[in-house]
This record gives sequence, C-alpha cells and structure tokens, in this order.
Amino acid sequence: MRYLLISICLCLVGCASYTKKHGFKEIESIDKVVYNPYFSDATKDYVYKAKIEVYNKTFGGIFIVKKISEANHRVVFTTEMGSKIFDFSFNHDDFKVNYILEEMDKKILLNILKKDFRVLVREHGNILNKSVKENRTLLETEIVNKKYFYAFKNDQLNSISRVKMGKEKVQFIFSDISAITAKNIQILHHNIKLTIKLKSIN
Amino acid sequence: MRNILYILFLLVATVHSQEKMTTAEAIILKEKIKTQAAETKTITSDFVQYKHLDFLTNDIVTKGYLAFKMPDLVKWSYVDPFVYSVIFKDENLYINDEGQKSDVNLSSSKLFKQLNKMIVNSVKGDMFDDNEFEISYFINKKYSEVHFSPINKKIAKYIKAFHILFNSNGDVVEIKMIEPSDDYTRIVFSNRVLNKTVSDAVFAH
Repeated sequence: MRYLLISICLCLVGCASYTKKHGFKEIESIDKVVYNPYFSDATKDYVYKAKIEVYNKTFGGIFIVKKISEANHRVVFTTEMGSKIFDFSFNHDDFKVNYILEEMDKKILLNILKKDFRVLVREHGNILNKSVKENRTLLETEIVNKKYFYAFKNDQLNSISRVKMGKEKVQFIFSDISAITAKNIQILHHNIKLTIKLKSIN
Repeated sequence: MRNILYILFLLVATVHSQEKMTTAEAIILKEKIKTQAAETKTITSDFVQYKHLDFLTNDIVTKGYLAFKMPDLVKWSYVDPFVYSVIFKDENLYINDEGQKSDVNLSSSKLFKQLNKMIVNSVKGDMFDDNEFEISYFINKKYSEVHFSPINKKIAKYIKAFHILFNSNGDVVEIKMIEPSDDYTRIVFSNRVLNKTVSDAVFAH
C-alpha cells in the first residue's frame, strides 16, 4: 500500500512537472477527445519506406498501414522485395499477430512494436489535462495505462510523447505534413537504442 | 436467367484461360526452358514489382532493373519510388539502401540459403527439381505457366508457390511468389536482354 501511494505521488509530481518543465500552463479543456488524423482515412493505403536502427544495426523495409474500419488497423512490414516480416491487427485495445517471421518472434520485441504501433494508429483518446504555451498545446491522455502527451502547434499534431516521471521515454515526431498525412514519421526511443524512421512513398 | 448463364459462361472462360498442359507438352516446355537457361550467361531487364496484400486498395508498385551473371550473381536495383539495391553473391546479401551499405551473411541459416537460391534460380526459370518442388504446367493465353510448390515444410512456411510465366522462347516474363496467406509479390519483366556482356563491376559492393 505504501509503495502504491509513493508511486501515485511520484507519478503526479512527474506528470505535472513535464508540462511545467516545458513552460506550459494548465487550462481547462472544452474538448474531451484528442485526435490523431494521420492514419484515419480508410480509403487510403499508407505506404512508407522504413529504416529501423537498433543497437547500431540498420535495416530497411516497407511499412504499410490500412484502416480497416473504426478503431481497426492493419500494420504490416515487408522487405523491399516483398517478403513479409510481420503483420499485426489493432482492433480497439485488442492486438493480434497475423504473421511474424520466426526469427523476430521474441516477446520483448513484440511488446515494443505493439506499444509503438498502437499509439501510432490510434485516432482518439480521452483528454485528461490540457496545457498551453503561445500557439502550442499539450494534451495529456492515457493509452493502456501509459501517459502520453500530444503536442500541437497551430492545431497541427507535431508529436506524441510517452512520459514517465516527467521524462520522455518514446517520441513520435510527425513532419512534412500535408492535409491529414504525415509524410515523415520518426519513432525515437530514449531508454533503448531503437529508432524507426518512416518516409511516405505513395 | 440470362445473367446467370452469362456469369457461368464467364466463369468457364476464366477457368479455361489457364488450361492444364498435357504431359507431352510439359516435357517439351521443360526441355526448352532448361536449354534456354543453360545457354543464358547474362540477363539484364527492367521490372515492375506489384506487392499484393489482400486488405489494400491498390498493389504497392516499385520499379527497377535486374542484372544476372553466370553462375549465380544477381542484382536487383529499385529506382522508383526509392533507390535500393541488393546483390546476391556467394552466401551474402549486399544491400545499398539510399547510399547506406550493409550486408547479411546467410551461411549460418540453411533455410535462408535455400530461399535465396530459389530466388536466384527463379530469374532463369530453371527450378525443375522434383525433389524440391511439386511442379504443374499450364497454358495461360500466349504464355506457358509453371507452378513450383516447395515440398519442404520449412520452406513452404515462407513461400507457398512460385508461379513463373514463360514466353514462347522459354524465357521468363513474370514471377509470382505466393505466401502461405495468399498475399503475393508479382514481378513483371520488360526489355529483357540475354547474353549481352555484363561487367563484374555491376556486382561490386
């Protein structure tokens, strides 16, 4: 019980300090839901050239996302020559591995990929807190028990950060944005040496 | 009623567009392809690759060119929509991903060595090994089509079948690699030139 209380206190201090540390001021939010539009068009095939850097090794491939229906996405990674490496389904909070190359079928790796791609394709989240600084807004939400901050500049979603104890653990950075498509996406891990870089090719 | 008949007619016509070859026709085709493959010292060709995933609205289209040199050097170069090349050489894959070079050694994995050997062999179309594949022969309009289904269960987990389309000379015009899920990669060749001098420098890395 004591540990639980300490954890809650630390989390409260940590979460609050993240926005304050960046000079944001908390305000009341009228909107209830935060929205990520970048994989929201069910008529579109999202195809990216991917570069994955993991512990000084780099390998590439094709990263594909398709919105099948509301809150239901398919996420597939293939080599440039077309061989499938993994094929996941995200349906609300459910996660299903349709296929994974045997050599990649490691629990630790699967958990990281699951967490990353769940955030990437998730369209809606409940706003827990809202903070502002000039033309920038930070919206705090929770995805499967983890805290995330959605950073907007002039109402455009620029990044999502998973934050623990006031520190960014994982960052999703969206750039070269046109309409509701992010042509460049980077997923940066700060606690392990893993970076995923995606560049739109369609 | 007329509509049903029309649909039935179309179905029959579709089935007939890929007709099974007689044993005699298959033997002649096999010999022609094997002779053609044996005489092929080099190949250069353009290609268009269609990655078909059942859930996508459109296939993913990539384009590039291929170089092959006897006995087993193959280079796939993609130029659109990204620049990427992979050289199959000895037991290594040499990759150049938009200028960033890396290599993969396959010697420790018997399975990957076998898979890569198949990809290299499929370029010439000569995969007539009854111990490795269940082989069936079809006539597909003006082309001949041969289906190679790996017998080895470990390999079949990666590739369900190769469908290779040959022209009347016994040269490969199209390769389709079908996954166990029925998603596939289809490679269509054009401007294919055989036995023109191809420098070793093409396969330097």
